[in-house]
Amino acid sequence: MSTFIKDFIDREVMTRRKLLLAGAAGIATMAVPGMSGRGQARAALVDPAIAWSYRDRASAYWNAVVSGGEAFVESIGRGKSDLVSLISEGSSEKSLADIKAFLAKTGGNCAIACDPNDSPNARPIVEAVQAAGGYISTIWNKTDDLHPWDFGDNYVSHMTWSDEQPSEQTARILFEAMGGKGGVVHLGGIAANNPAVERLAGLHNALKDFPDIELLDAQPADWDTTKAAQLMSSFLTRYGDRITGVHCAADNIAYGVIEALRAEGITDMPIVAYDGNPEAVKLVMDGQLLATVFTNPYWGGGISAALAYHAAIGTFKPSDEPQEHREFYGPTILITQADAAAFKAQYLDATPDYDWTDFWGPGNGQIQYR
Amino acid sequence: MKMKLTRENVIRWAPALVLLGLVVLFTAINPAFLSQRNLARIALAATPPMMVALGVTFIIVMGSIDLSMEGAVSLCAVLFCLLFLKLGGSLGAGAWLAIPAILLCGAFFGWLTGMVHVRLQIPSFMASLAMGFVGTGAAVLVTGGDIVRIDDDVFRALLTWRILGFPLMVHIAVLLVLLAWFIQNHTTLGRNFYAVGGGEELAHASGVNVRRVRLAGFALAGVFYAIAAIFQVARLGQAESVTGANLMFIAITSVVVGGVALWGGIGGVLNAVVGVLIVNVIGNGMVVIGLPNYLQDGLLGVLVIVAVVLSTDRRLVSFAK
Repeated sequence: MSTFIKDFIDREVMTRRKLLLAGAAGIATMAVPGMSGRGQARAALVDPAIAWSYRDRASAYWNAVVSGGEAFVESIGRGKSDLVSLISEGSSEKSLADIKAFLAKTGGNCAIACDPNDSPNARPIVEAVQAAGGYISTIWNKTDDLHPWDFGDNYVSHMTWSDEQPSEQTARILFEAMGGKGGVVHLGGIAANNPAVERLAGLHNALKDFPDIELLDAQPADWDTTKAAQLMSSFLTRYGDRITGVHCAADNIAYGVIEALRAEGITDMPIVAYDGNPEAVKLVMDGQLLATVFTNPYWGGGISAALAYHAAIGTFKPSDEPQEHREFYGPTILITQADAAAFKAQYLDATPDYDWTDFWGPGNGQIQYR
Repeated sequence: MKMKLTRENVIRWAPALVLLGLVVLFTAINPAFLSQRNLARIALAATPPMMVALGVTFIIVMGSIDLSMEGAVSLCAVLFCLLFLKLGGSLGAGAWLAIPAILLCGAFFGWLTGMVHVRLQIPSFMASLAMGFVGTGAAVLVTGGDIVRIDDDVFRALLTWRILGFPLMVHIAVLLVLLAWFIQNHTTLGRNFYAVGGGEELAHASGVNVRRVRLAGFALAGVFYAIAAIFQVARLGQAESVTGANLMFIAITSVVVGGVALWGGIGGVLNAVVGVLIVNVIGNGMVVIGLPNYLQDGLLGVLVIVAVVLSTDRRLVSFAK
């Protein structure tokens, strides 16, 4: 064996050994606060570090979430940069590793808001946080058997959104505008998408209370404006004047429906949509749409960080709270013609000033499992 | 001239017969299919893809392929809307200038695709696909992901003003089909497309500047994509970075179903027209007869294969690539 190769191997072995030692040291530091924290709920943390763990900031959705988180951090007199971004880039492993590193760095003196990226990843994350004595609130992803109340105070809360109930609300508004009778068509999203399934289910729920309304047809328009226009005009051929109302699974679909109807000279068809895009809000104001739904990611981002923080400093004790304060649906704001102008002024033209200690007011009730 | 029932004649008319057969089939199941209003709906839905199909037909006749249409249409649509709004937002108030400007823009985009293909010697398949992504990317960049809406009633008359029961844009599309047919049959450029498609070496040896013909072909296709973009905006009243989505599948399928051979030199504008109508009749008819939606995609695929089988002369083809 040449000395070069031998030296190389020696050096590599050394580095590996060093790495292992360093790693062990790191685990030890992590375990220390964990040992003191376990079993005896710490009264409160003092000035905990705050972090948001999320996918990345490129999408409008996550950008709004993190902006909300920053707004909360500023509301307690800190700077924007005091919100640590743990960016998972869509990797569960990275999400978990970053959170463990953050726990180690802060010695557990921290409050974390987090989207675990996928459901199974939520358990190792909250276990790590509990072991370190930190506090965490999650959104979107967790398995159905994982509950905050099984973790004492450290797993503060979980929030997710359901489209079924808001979609039912839009359907009711539609049916009432139709005078409680007539025929309705539904233009949906891509058939297998979860939101598409939930939004159609909402329509079916509302139909039960309106026996004189017939669901003529429900077909996927793939969230696509052009396809929606085409599908709507085909519906017109098949059902003609029997269509007296249109239930759309998305704003994008509603745009296509409105234009397909405009081509036929129909301007007074009752239509409802979903998503609360700025253009759709305008159409609600103009009277071309009856309603759409907004899910307020900005508030979701702020309140998740606020829940973890206030639980950490002892503003409230999570284990004293009822279950509907530990697992709840996020807000969905129904935008109708009565309040569209006010909504636009409040949410789109300016960023609202939220009360970040009103943790549960805007929420939508306890999460239901099926 | 007496038409004989020869093999060639049958194959030449096969796409039209397929179209006729589909119309008869759908009408038999639901007579509302053949109502004037439904025919107007089909024509309206067919108009933007028709323009794309006309454009790509010239390229396919040359034996190349152009897959840049989705990006080209999205970019042109977005730029058209922005320019239209910048120029006053009303057709009467100077915004009409946006129309020639976008046609030029489309021509430039097509020419650029042609340059990438011809100068850099990249196969047209890859060059145009890449340029399509560039177009979509540019559209995202200009809009920031937002929707641009146009609310000018004069411009929207393309959709809302009906002559003989058909929207104005359908009539304009018919005129443009005639124009494309004229370019194909009665101009040097049109004949050169066939020369290049039939045998590039031969065309070159006969003194045809093959490179220039290719560039002109891509630029011409670009103009038709721009027209498709304007129709798409007129139809939906808005543009965004996905306005051109799905047009690639519809246009290429239509052209092939209509009997234009992908290896070049065979078929032409009228085949593309029949092809677009076939695809749109299928799409509309499946909903009108009440076919369950989970069967629709599958049946569309089967019908496309049947149409291609009936309308191409496979004796001319030694192998399929």
